[in-house]
Amino acid sequence: MKIFEAFGLDWRILIAQLINFAILFFILWKFAYKPMFKILDERKKKIETGLNYAARAEEKLKEIGEEEKKTMVAAKKEAAKFMEEAKKEAEESRKKQIEKTKEEIGQLINQEKENMRLEKAEVLASINREVAELVALTVEKVIEEKMSGQKDEELIKKAISKLK
Amino acid sequence: MKLDISLSPEAVFHLGSLPITNSFLLMIFVTLFLIVGAIWLSRNVKLAPKGFQNAVELIFEGALDFVDTIMNDKDKTRKVFPFVFSLFIYILVANLVNFIPGQAALTINEGGKFVPVLRGVMADYGMVLVLTIISFVTVQVVGIMSFGPFGHLGKFINFSNPMNFFVGILELVGEFAKILSLSFRLFGNIFAGEVLLSVFLFLFPFILPLPFMVLELGTALIQAFVFSVLTLVFIKMAGEKAEGH
Repeated sequence: MKIFEAFGLDWRILIAQLINFAILFFILWKFAYKPMFKILDERKKKIETGLNYAARAEEKLKEIGEEEKKTMVAAKKEAAKFMEEAKKEAEESRKKQIEKTKEEIGQLINQEKENMRLEKAEVLASINREVAELVALTVEKVIEEKMSGQKDEELIKKAISKLK
Repeated sequence: MKLDISLSPEAVFHLGSLPITNSFLLMIFVTLFLIVGAIWLSRNVKLAPKGFQNAVELIFEGALDFVDTIMNDKDKTRKVFPFVFSLFIYILVANLVNFIPGQAALTINEGGKFVPVLRGVMADYGMVLVLTIISFVTVQVVGIMSFGPFGHLGKFINFSNPMNFFVGILELVGEFAKILSLSFRLFGNIFAGEVLLSVFLFLFPFILPLPFMVLELGTALIQAFVFSVLTLVFIKMAGEKAEGH
Protein backbone atom coordinates (compact mmCIF):
# COMPACT_ATOMS: atom_id res chain seq x y z
CA MET A 1 0.00 0.00 0.00
CA LYS A 2 1.20 3.41 -0.92
CA ILE A 3 0.27 5.02 2.40
CA PHE A 4 2.27 2.40 4.27
CA GLU A 5 5.26 3.20 2.12
CA ALA A 6 4.81 6.93 2.63
CA PHE A 7 4.96 6.52 6.39
CA GLY A 8 7.74 4.01 6.12
CA LEU A 9 5.76 1.27 7.77
CA ASP A 10 7.45 -2.07 7.84
CA TRP A 11 5.63 -4.85 9.64
CA ARG A 12 8.88 -6.24 11.02
CA ILE A 13 9.70 -2.91 12.58
CA LEU A 14 6.15 -2.58 13.85
CA ILE A 15 6.45 -5.93 15.58
CA ALA A 16 9.83 -4.94 16.99
CA GLN A 17 8.30 -1.75 18.30
CA LEU A 18 5.41 -3.66 19.81
CA ILE A 19 7.77 -6.07 21.53
CA ASN A 20 9.87 -3.16 22.69
CA PHE A 21 6.90 -1.49 24.31
CA ALA A 22 5.75 -4.79 25.81
CA ILE A 23 9.16 -5.32 27.38
CA LEU A 24 9.20 -1.76 28.63
CA PHE A 25 5.74 -2.15 30.11
CA PHE A 26 6.62 -5.44 31.73
CA ILE A 27 9.79 -4.08 33.29
CA LEU A 28 8.12 -0.90 34.45
CA TRP A 29 5.32 -2.97 35.93
CA LYS A 30 7.72 -5.28 37.70
CA PHE A 31 10.28 -2.75 38.85
CA ALA A 32 8.35 0.46 39.19
CA TYR A 33 4.60 -0.01 39.69
CA LYS A 34 4.68 -3.08 41.91
CA PRO A 35 7.19 -1.76 44.43
CA MET A 36 5.62 1.68 44.30
CA PHE A 37 2.15 0.33 44.97
CA LYS A 38 3.56 -1.86 47.70
CA ILE A 39 5.34 0.99 49.37
CA LEU A 40 2.31 3.26 49.06
CA ASP A 41 0.13 0.60 50.65
CA GLU A 42 2.66 -0.06 53.36
CA ARG A 43 3.00 3.60 54.13
CA LYS A 44 -0.76 4.08 54.13
CA LYS A 45 -1.16 1.18 56.50
CA LYS A 46 1.59 2.46 58.73
CA ILE A 47 0.11 5.94 58.82
CA GLU A 48 -3.32 4.51 59.53
CA THR A 49 -2.07 2.38 62.40
CA GLY A 50 -0.09 5.33 63.68
CA LEU A 51 -3.15 7.54 63.57
CA ASN A 52 -5.17 4.81 65.23
CA TYR A 53 -2.65 4.51 67.97
CA ALA A 54 -2.56 8.25 68.42
CA ALA A 55 -6.36 8.42 68.62
CA ARG A 56 -6.46 5.58 71.09
CA ALA A 57 -3.72 7.11 73.18
CA GLU A 58 -5.58 10.39 73.23
CA GLU A 59 -8.77 8.65 74.27
CA LYS A 60 -6.96 6.77 76.98
CA LEU A 61 -5.36 9.95 78.17
CA LYS A 62 -8.73 11.63 78.33
CA GLU A 63 -10.16 8.67 80.20
CA ILE A 64 -7.31 8.70 82.65
CA GLY A 65 -7.70 12.43 83.14
CA GLU A 66 -11.40 12.00 83.80
CA GLU A 67 -10.76 9.16 86.18
CA GLU A 68 -8.19 11.25 87.92
CA LYS A 69 -10.64 14.07 88.25
CA LYS A 70 -13.29 11.72 89.56
CA THR A 71 -10.89 10.23 92.04
CA MET A 72 -9.81 13.66 93.11
CA VAL A 73 -13.38 14.77 93.60
CA ALA A 74 -14.22 11.61 95.53
CA ALA A 75 -11.11 11.99 97.65
CA LYS A 76 -11.96 15.60 98.33
CA LYS A 77 -15.50 14.68 99.26
CA GLU A 78 -14.32 11.93 101.54
CA ALA A 79 -11.76 14.17 103.11
CA ALA A 80 -14.43 16.80 103.67
CA LYS A 81 -16.68 14.17 105.19
CA PHE A 82 -13.91 12.99 107.45
CA MET A 83 -13.19 16.54 108.47
CA GLU A 84 -16.83 17.15 109.22
CA GLU A 85 -17.08 13.98 111.21
CA ALA A 86 -13.93 14.71 113.09
CA LYS A 87 -15.19 18.18 113.84
CA LYS A 88 -18.50 16.81 115.01
CA GLU A 89 -16.83 14.23 117.13
CA ALA A 90 -14.49 16.75 118.60
CA GLU A 91 -17.40 19.06 119.32
CA GLU A 92 -19.36 16.24 120.90
CA SER A 93 -16.49 15.01 122.97
CA ARG A 94 -15.82 18.56 124.07
CA LYS A 95 -19.46 19.01 125.00
CA LYS A 96 -19.42 15.73 126.85
CA GLN A 97 -16.27 16.68 128.64
CA ILE A 98 -17.74 19.99 129.64
CA GLU A 99 -20.91 18.35 130.83
CA LYS A 100 -18.97 15.80 132.71
CA THR A 101 -16.83 18.45 134.28
CA LYS A 102 -19.91 20.46 135.13
CA GLU A 103 -21.47 17.43 136.69
CA GLU A 104 -18.36 16.67 138.60
CA ILE A 105 -18.15 20.21 139.80
CA GLY A 106 -21.82 20.07 140.77
CA GLN A 107 -21.23 16.86 142.61
CA LEU A 108 -18.25 18.29 144.35
CA ILE A 109 -20.26 21.33 145.34
CA ASN A 110 -23.12 19.18 146.56
CA GLN A 111 -20.79 17.04 148.53
CA GLU A 112 -19.13 20.06 149.94
CA LYS A 113 -22.54 21.50 150.80
CA GLU A 114 -23.52 18.26 152.46
CA ASN A 115 -20.28 18.20 154.33
CA MET A 116 -20.77 21.74 155.42
CA ARG A 117 -24.32 21.02 156.51
CA LEU A 118 -23.23 17.99 158.47
CA GLU A 119 -20.37 19.91 160.00
CA LYS A 120 -22.69 22.73 160.83
CA ALA A 121 -25.14 20.34 162.39
CA GLU A 122 -22.33 18.73 164.32
CA VAL A 123 -21.02 22.08 165.43
CA LEU A 124 -24.49 23.12 166.46
CA ALA A 125 -25.00 19.89 168.35
CA SER A 126 -21.69 20.20 170.07
CA ILE A 127 -22.44 23.81 170.91
CA ASN A 128 -25.79 22.74 172.28
CA ARG A 129 -24.17 20.06 174.36
CA GLU A 130 -21.43 22.31 175.60
CA VAL A 131 -23.89 25.06 176.39
CA ALA A 132 -26.06 22.57 178.27
CA GLU A 133 -23.08 21.31 180.21
CA LEU A 134 -21.95 24.77 180.86
CA VAL A 135 -25.35 25.79 182.06
CA ALA A 136 -25.60 22.65 184.13
CA LEU A 137 -22.31 23.40 185.76
CA THR A 138 -23.26 26.95 186.33
CA VAL A 139 -26.58 26.00 187.73
CA GLU A 140 -24.90 23.34 189.79
CA LYS A 141 -22.62 25.89 191.16
CA VAL A 142 -25.42 28.35 191.70
CA ILE A 143 -27.64 25.84 193.37
CA GLU A 144 -25.53 24.01 195.74
CA GLU A 145 -28.23 21.80 196.63
CA LYS A 146 -27.95 18.92 194.38
CA MET A 147 -31.04 17.44 192.95
CA SER A 148 -31.54 14.12 191.58
CA GLY A 149 -29.74 13.74 188.29
CA GLN A 150 -32.78 13.11 186.27
CA LYS A 151 -34.77 15.97 187.50
CA ASP A 152 -31.90 18.19 187.13
CA GLU A 153 -31.42 17.40 183.49
CA GLU A 154 -35.05 17.84 182.75
CA LEU A 155 -35.07 21.21 184.34
CA ILE A 156 -32.10 22.30 182.40
CA LYS A 157 -33.54 21.16 179.15
CA LYS A 158 -36.68 23.10 179.84
CA ALA A 159 -34.73 26.17 180.61
CA ILE A 160 -32.76 25.91 177.45
CA SER A 161 -35.76 25.39 175.22
CA LYS A 162 -37.25 28.45 176.85
CA LEU A 163 -34.07 30.32 176.08
CA LYS A 164 -34.23 29.34 172.57
CA MET B 1 22.80 23.03 1.96
CA LYS B 2 19.47 21.48 1.38
CA LEU B 3 16.60 21.03 3.81
CA ASP B 4 15.57 17.41 3.64
CA ILE B 5 12.39 16.49 5.41
CA SER B 6 11.29 12.90 5.31
CA LEU B 7 7.83 11.79 6.37
CA SER B 8 9.07 8.31 7.05
CA PRO B 9 11.94 7.28 9.28
CA GLU B 10 15.03 6.34 7.35
CA ALA B 11 17.16 3.26 7.70
CA VAL B 12 20.49 3.97 9.33
CA PHE B 13 21.79 0.46 8.80
CA HIS B 14 20.48 -2.96 8.03
CA LEU B 15 20.44 -5.93 10.33
CA GLY B 16 20.32 -8.69 7.77
CA SER B 17 17.37 -7.60 5.70
CA LEU B 18 15.78 -5.72 8.59
CA PRO B 19 16.27 -1.99 8.25
CA ILE B 20 17.10 -0.30 11.53
CA THR B 21 15.60 3.16 11.27
CA ASN B 22 16.76 6.29 13.05
CA SER B 23 13.57 6.53 15.14
CA PHE B 24 13.99 2.87 16.07
CA LEU B 25 17.47 3.62 17.36
CA LEU B 26 16.26 6.46 19.54
CA MET B 27 13.39 4.28 20.73
CA ILE B 28 15.94 1.72 21.95
CA PHE B 29 17.74 4.45 23.88
CA VAL B 30 14.54 5.76 25.41
CA THR B 31 13.47 2.27 26.43
CA LEU B 32 16.85 1.50 27.95
CA PHE B 33 16.79 4.79 29.82
CA LEU B 34 13.37 4.02 31.30
CA ILE B 35 14.29 0.45 32.15
CA VAL B 36 17.49 1.50 33.88
CA GLY B 37 15.58 4.21 35.72
CA ALA B 38 12.90 1.75 36.84
CA ILE B 39 15.42 -0.83 38.04
CA TRP B 40 17.47 1.81 39.81
CA LEU B 41 14.31 3.06 41.47
CA SER B 42 13.23 -0.39 42.57
CA ARG B 43 16.62 -0.94 44.18
CA ASN B 44 16.36 2.25 46.15
CA VAL B 45 12.75 2.56 47.24
CA LYS B 46 12.40 3.09 50.95
CA LEU B 47 9.42 3.55 53.20
CA ALA B 48 10.71 6.95 54.23
CA PRO B 49 11.48 8.57 50.89
CA LYS B 50 14.11 11.18 50.23
CA GLY B 51 15.53 13.08 47.33
CA PHE B 52 14.81 11.48 43.99
CA GLN B 53 12.28 9.01 45.34
CA ASN B 54 10.33 11.92 46.77
CA ALA B 55 10.05 13.55 43.36
CA VAL B 56 9.10 10.26 41.70
CA GLU B 57 6.48 9.58 44.33
CA LEU B 58 5.08 13.06 43.97
CA ILE B 59 4.55 12.51 40.24
CA PHE B 60 3.41 8.93 40.76
CA GLU B 61 0.87 9.76 43.40
CA GLY B 62 -0.33 12.83 41.56
CA ALA B 63 -0.89 10.74 38.45
CA LEU B 64 -2.56 8.01 40.48
CA ASP B 65 -4.94 10.51 42.04
CA PHE B 66 -5.68 11.99 38.65
CA VAL B 67 -6.45 8.58 37.16
CA ASP B 68 -8.63 7.87 40.16
CA THR B 69 -10.66 11.02 39.59
CA ILE B 70 -11.50 9.65 36.15
CA MET B 71 -11.97 5.99 37.09
CA ASN B 72 -13.74 6.66 40.41
CA ASP B 73 -12.75 3.22 41.58
CA LYS B 74 -9.59 2.46 43.54
CA ASP B 75 -9.27 -1.13 42.32
CA LYS B 76 -9.82 -0.28 38.68
CA THR B 77 -7.38 2.59 39.01
CA ARG B 78 -4.73 0.19 40.24
CA LYS B 79 -5.33 -2.06 37.25
CA VAL B 80 -5.38 0.62 34.61
CA PHE B 81 -2.76 2.95 36.00
CA PRO B 82 0.38 0.98 35.04
CA PHE B 83 -0.68 0.84 31.41
CA VAL B 84 -1.77 4.45 31.11
CA PHE B 85 1.19 5.80 33.01
CA SER B 86 3.58 3.67 30.95
CA LEU B 87 2.13 5.20 27.81
CA PHE B 88 2.48 8.66 29.30
CA ILE B 89 6.02 8.33 30.57
CA TYR B 90 7.19 6.58 27.42
CA ILE B 91 5.72 9.19 25.10
CA LEU B 92 6.88 12.02 27.33
CA VAL B 93 10.47 10.82 27.57
CA ALA B 94 10.53 10.00 23.84
CA ASN B 95 9.32 13.52 23.07
CA LEU B 96 11.67 15.25 25.50
CA VAL B 97 14.71 13.35 24.27
CA ASN B 98 14.36 15.29 21.01
CA PHE B 99 15.40 18.43 22.84
CA ILE B 100 18.80 17.14 23.80
CA PRO B 101 20.90 19.26 21.46
CA GLY B 102 23.34 17.90 18.96
CA GLN B 103 21.18 15.13 17.54
CA ALA B 104 20.65 16.90 14.25
CA ALA B 105 24.39 17.00 13.75
CA LEU B 106 24.64 13.23 13.84
CA THR B 107 24.16 12.13 10.27
CA ILE B 108 25.26 9.24 8.20
CA ASN B 109 25.84 9.14 4.50
CA GLU B 110 23.53 6.54 3.08
CA GLY B 111 23.80 6.27 -0.65
CA GLY B 112 24.64 9.93 -1.23
CA LYS B 113 21.95 11.08 1.16
CA PHE B 114 22.59 12.44 4.63
CA VAL B 115 20.42 10.50 7.01
CA PRO B 116 20.12 11.68 10.63
CA VAL B 117 21.14 8.91 13.00
CA LEU B 118 18.41 9.81 15.50
CA ARG B 119 14.83 10.83 14.88
CA GLY B 120 11.99 11.61 17.21
CA VAL B 121 10.37 8.36 18.31
CA MET B 122 6.87 9.76 17.97
CA ALA B 123 7.78 11.30 14.62
CA ASP B 124 7.63 7.76 13.33
CA TYR B 125 4.05 6.94 12.42
CA GLY B 126 4.74 3.24 12.86
CA MET B 127 5.56 3.65 16.55
CA VAL B 128 2.53 5.84 17.15
CA LEU B 129 0.34 3.38 15.28
CA VAL B 130 1.66 0.53 17.40
CA LEU B 131 0.89 2.45 20.59
CA THR B 132 -2.56 3.34 19.29
CA ILE B 133 -3.31 -0.25 18.37
CA ILE B 134 -2.17 -1.39 21.81
CA SER B 135 -4.46 1.20 23.32
CA PHE B 136 -7.32 0.19 21.00
CA VAL B 137 -6.92 -3.49 21.78
CA THR B 138 -6.81 -2.74 25.48
CA VAL B 139 -10.04 -0.78 25.20
CA GLN B 140 -11.71 -3.68 23.38
CA VAL B 141 -10.42 -6.17 25.95
CA VAL B 142 -11.80 -4.04 28.77
CA GLY B 143 -15.14 -3.86 26.95
CA ILE B 144 -15.23 -7.62 26.46
CA MET B 145 -14.22 -8.24 30.05
CA SER B 146 -16.96 -5.93 31.30
CA PHE B 147 -19.85 -7.13 29.09
CA GLY B 148 -18.72 -10.41 27.62
CA PRO B 149 -17.79 -10.82 23.93
CA PHE B 150 -21.39 -10.61 22.71
CA GLY B 151 -22.32 -7.84 25.07
CA HIS B 152 -19.42 -5.82 23.81
CA LEU B 153 -20.17 -6.59 20.19
CA GLY B 154 -23.80 -5.76 20.85
CA LYS B 155 -22.83 -2.17 21.43
CA PHE B 156 -21.96 -1.89 17.74
CA ILE B 157 -24.20 -4.39 16.03
CA ASN B 158 -27.70 -4.05 17.31
CA PHE B 159 -30.79 -5.29 15.47
CA SER B 160 -33.35 -4.43 18.16
CA ASN B 161 -34.65 -1.53 16.09
CA PRO B 162 -33.46 0.52 13.11
CA MET B 163 -32.50 3.47 15.27
CA ASN B 164 -30.27 1.34 17.49
CA PHE B 165 -28.82 -0.34 14.43
CA PHE B 166 -27.86 2.98 12.95
CA VAL B 167 -26.40 4.19 16.27
CA GLY B 168 -24.45 0.95 16.53
CA ILE B 169 -22.96 1.48 13.09
CA LEU B 170 -22.01 5.02 14.05
CA GLU B 171 -20.39 3.73 17.20
CA LEU B 172 -18.48 1.16 15.17
CA VAL B 173 -17.19 3.80 12.80
CA GLY B 174 -16.37 6.04 15.76
CA GLU B 175 -14.47 3.22 17.41
CA PHE B 176 -12.17 2.81 14.45
CA ALA B 177 -11.95 6.54 13.93
CA LYS B 178 -10.41 6.63 17.39
CA ILE B 179 -7.37 4.81 16.05
CA LEU B 180 -6.88 7.42 13.35
CA SER B 181 -7.55 10.44 15.52
CA LEU B 182 -5.42 9.20 18.38
CA SER B 183 -2.46 8.23 16.23
CA PHE B 184 -2.50 11.18 13.86
CA ARG B 185 -2.90 13.65 16.69
CA LEU B 186 0.28 12.49 18.36
CA PHE B 187 2.26 11.85 15.21
CA GLY B 188 1.09 15.07 13.55
CA ASN B 189 1.96 17.27 16.51
CA ILE B 190 5.39 15.83 17.07
CA PHE B 191 6.31 15.54 13.41
CA ALA B 192 5.07 19.06 12.69
CA GLY B 193 7.09 20.31 15.63
CA GLU B 194 10.20 18.67 14.28
CA VAL B 195 9.60 20.07 10.83
CA LEU B 196 8.94 23.53 12.24
CA LEU B 197 12.10 23.50 14.31
CA SER B 198 14.25 22.16 11.53
CA VAL B 199 12.88 24.80 9.18
CA PHE B 200 13.67 27.55 11.67
CA LEU B 201 17.07 26.08 12.38
CA PHE B 202 17.65 26.02 8.64
CA LEU B 203 16.49 29.60 8.12
CA PHE B 204 18.07 31.27 11.10
CA PRO B 205 19.57 29.06 13.78
CA PHE B 206 20.14 31.75 16.42
CA ILE B 207 17.53 32.81 19.01
CA LEU B 208 14.63 32.62 16.52
CA PRO B 209 13.92 28.92 17.17
CA LEU B 210 13.95 29.39 20.96
CA PRO B 211 10.32 30.46 21.53
CA PHE B 212 9.20 27.67 19.23
CA MET B 213 11.32 25.22 21.18
CA VAL B 214 9.51 26.31 24.34
CA LEU B 215 6.20 25.76 22.56
CA GLU B 216 7.39 22.36 21.37
CA LEU B 217 8.34 21.43 24.93
CA GLY B 218 4.75 22.19 25.89
CA THR B 219 3.52 20.13 22.97
CA ALA B 220 5.72 17.23 24.04
CA LEU B 221 4.14 17.22 27.48
CA ILE B 222 0.60 17.93 26.34
CA GLN B 223 0.58 15.29 23.62
CA ALA B 224 1.91 12.64 25.99
CA PHE B 225 -0.81 13.68 28.43
CA VAL B 226 -3.55 13.79 25.81
CA PHE B 227 -2.69 10.41 24.36
CA SER B 228 -2.61 8.64 27.71
CA VAL B 229 -5.65 10.41 29.11
CA LEU B 230 -7.70 9.70 25.98
CA THR B 231 -6.72 6.06 26.28
CA LEU B 232 -7.79 6.19 29.91
CA VAL B 233 -11.12 7.77 29.02
CA PHE B 234 -11.74 5.19 26.28
CA ILE B 235 -11.00 2.42 28.76
CA LYS B 236 -13.35 4.00 31.26
CA MET B 237 -16.06 4.34 28.62
CA ALA B 238 -15.59 0.77 27.46
CA GLY B 239 -16.10 -0.45 31.03
CA GLU B 240 -19.38 1.39 31.41
CA LYS B 241 -22.84 0.77 30.08
CA ALA B 242 -23.66 3.00 27.16
CA GLU B 243 -26.30 5.39 28.42
CA GLY B 244 -28.30 8.29 27.17
CA HIS B 245 -27.95 7.51 23.47
